[in-house]
Amino acid sequence: MKYVIGVDIGSAFSKAVVISGDKVVSHHVMPSGGNYRLTAKAVVEKALAKAKLSSKDVGYVIATGYGATNATTADEVVTDLSCQGRGVAYLFPSARTAIDIGGQFTRVFRVNEKGKVTAFVQSEKCAAGSGRFLQVIAKVLQVDLKDIGELSLKSKNKVDFNTGCAVFAESEAVSRVAEGAKKEDILAGLHRTLAAKIQSMVERVGLEPDCVVVGGGAKDIGLVRDLEKSLGCKLLLPEEPQTVAALGAALLAEEKAAPSGSAKK
Amino acid sequence: MKQYFAGVDIGSTMTKVVIMDDSVLASVIGPTGPEHRKLANHVMEEALKKAKLPFKDITYVVATGYGRINVPFADKQITEISCHAKGVAYLLPEVRTVIDIGGQDSKGIKLKDGRAVDFVMNDKCAAGTGRFLEVAAEELGVKLQDMGKLSFEAKKAVSISNTCTVFATQEVVTKLSEGAALPDIVAGLHEAIATRVYSMLRRIKIEREVALTGGGAKNIGLVRALEAKLGFAVQVPPEPLLTGAIGAALLGRDIVKEAEKKGIPLTKAERRLTEASLFT
Repeated sequence: MKYVIGVDIGSAFSKAVVISGDKVVSHHVMPSGGNYRLTAKAVVEKALAKAKLSSKDVGYVIATGYGATNATTADEVVTDLSCQGRGVAYLFPSARTAIDIGGQFTRVFRVNEKGKVTAFVQSEKCAAGSGRFLQVIAKVLQVDLKDIGELSLKSKNKVDFNTGCAVFAESEAVSRVAEGAKKEDILAGLHRTLAAKIQSMVERVGLEPDCVVVGGGAKDIGLVRDLEKSLGCKLLLPEEPQTVAALGAALLAEEKAAPSGSAKK
Repeated sequence: MKQYFAGVDIGSTMTKVVIMDDSVLASVIGPTGPEHRKLANHVMEEALKKAKLPFKDITYVVATGYGRINVPFADKQITEISCHAKGVAYLLPEVRTVIDIGGQDSKGIKLKDGRAVDFVMNDKCAAGTGRFLEVAAEELGVKLQDMGKLSFEAKKAVSISNTCTVFATQEVVTKLSEGAALPDIVAGLHEAIATRVYSMLRRIKIEREVALTGGGAKNIGLVRALEAKLGFAVQVPPEPLLTGAIGAALLGRDIVKEAEKKGIPLTKAERRLTEASLFT
């Protein structure tokens, strides 16, 4: 049996997904750190080790993401948008719109039933429009990144923020804490700021249900709930929202590795 | 009776007060800090002490800047655009374009006959403001006031590809770890701000002479970087932080003279030199 791998080297996190046929065998997620080349190697090795496989068992590797070219063992590099589209269609065949909240950018795209991306908008490379905003705020409030979503849901009195810049929001958050505002209320206010930016991107590309949220930002339940409220629809969430592009890359690798004619659509 | 005028400029980072008659009698610059609502009167008291004047001798007080609504003893609030224009026109009469790089914003003001006729402003994004430099300096472990000189030691400015302060800071830290020289990085940061400010300024047509004011004007490396973008030298007032406060005091004087000329009583606020309270 042949295995294929998709590896996604993001600006903040690197992910690898090992599949066989179209079944996921294992996956691994780790911070990208400063050396993408070493990370690209390590994330693949870790994912293979989880499935008790070695590189000899691997038929084809597709790399994607910001640092894709650092994955020197990859057979091919594919744009992250193509991989995201493929991954979204595999997990949610009914999805027609996807919001990807990554470490540097937020992207909203429309996808057809085959996983082909038909339209997209991307934020500027601005911390306030990306998952980086959440990291900055979690740090300044001294809350673990993975806890900010749950904590913000406890908010009863959202703090309004005057700024859309992560740097200015950071100092505004410090002032609010000094004035006695609760962390959950600040987080809820900041989720509003980010959600408003994302909402305007969704409006630009056009919302067609079902809509799915992927990328690290999808792990923030507070942000997702705020987006659901402002978009007026339920959002679908993958179990592992960070690995969708890597999964898509693996599925594309599978098509390459499979003998011609038997490739899945 | 002799008349005195005070200008109070509460910036995001620094608070400035000047007391004038026909020229500047006293000036004080202090950090705004998180308690800026309480600070205005302390800085005012200090300026009065320097000028050897009691508060009741001040004929008119104009407040300006980001925190101008938090000056309870001011007779009038006037936007910083008008005050900067007035102050620069007084100090450097030949200037037609003012570039102000403040702690949390940057602006360009076009002057005609001593008044602002057009302006552009960025207060939405830290890039292109003093804040950009402050954040990067802290991350690099360099004192803000040392950056200007340090950049003169640069052999080749490092090119910074990110506009966003958060990502640019990360970028320079990476470049430092990859072996780039600190002065080259600092010079690159100055270029990044100059580029950002220059692209904002293109929305108003830049006309000579150009003055640079605000805290950014105290950074000689940034002044040189902007001059390189503009292609000519800029003028810097002797104390670039004070132009807004000077303009405020002068506009106060204009208001008083105008009222006297027309023979109408001056409408003044009921003034008490007291602290503004936080939640009123």
